[in-house]
Amino acid sequence: MSSFFLYLGLGLFSLVLLCLYRGIFGPGVLNRIAAISAIGTKTLVILLLMGFIYQRIDMFIDISMVYALLNFIGTITAAKYLEIKGEV
Amino acid sequence: MTQVTDDIIIRTVARILMPFIQLYALYVIMHGHHSPGGGFQGGVILGASFILYLITHGLEEAKLRMSEVKAGLFSSFGLLIYSGIGLLCLILGSNYLDYGELSTILKVIPAQARSLGILGVEIGVGISVMAVMFSIFFDISTGGVLPEDDEGEREGR
Repeated sequence: MSSFFLYLGLGLFSLVLLCLYRGIFGPGVLNRIAAISAIGTKTLVILLLMGFIYQRIDMFIDISMVYALLNFIGTITAAKYLEIKGEV
Repeated sequence: MTQVTDDIIIRTVARILMPFIQLYALYVIMHGHHSPGGGFQGGVILGASFILYLITHGLEEAKLRMSEVKAGLFSSFGLLIYSGIGLLCLILGSNYLDYGELSTILKVIPAQARSLGILGVEIGVGISVMAVMFSIFFDISTGGVLPEDDEGEREGR
């Protein structure tokens, strides 16, 4: 069962690389914000999979919740800045 | 960052989410010696909830909840709890922050006194970190000049 989680995590990692490409080369700021947000969500799931692999899911779920929270606040802050600044 | 925009979705989501964020921050502070976390991490989450309020509701409404003066008072108060517990151990004839001596005051066994002492110190650290986080964000979002700060604007800062 542990190898299943490992391969799932590796698959998600390859998707993170695709999102990272969009975050670095993506045209415009909005694409980059969306890419960073998606990377944060995938990282959260990878953290939980690591928790399953190490059999310490009760430890990793705390970290992943903080990660989701800070990701949410970061995206809102970037969107707020763009709204006031008025240019992309 | 300081203007108020009438965005009902963001405001409602932030208003629903804030109590859960703060409850989770208190969990991280209280549960710090059994799981990842502790005073600093819980304080950062607690400060993030106030920063979320400032972003979504604007500077004027956030000042009613937590002003700059209150943030300074809270940071000093957290430091007072930390150093007060440390000095209490020193007065009772032990090393600084050696919680075992607190068992004579708390009327518990030394092991439980150590647990309670660490909890008290972490609460102090959490309050202090929350206030300092909010204070830093407050200063950044106002650019260092408060609207009622007449002297600062007269000097052209």
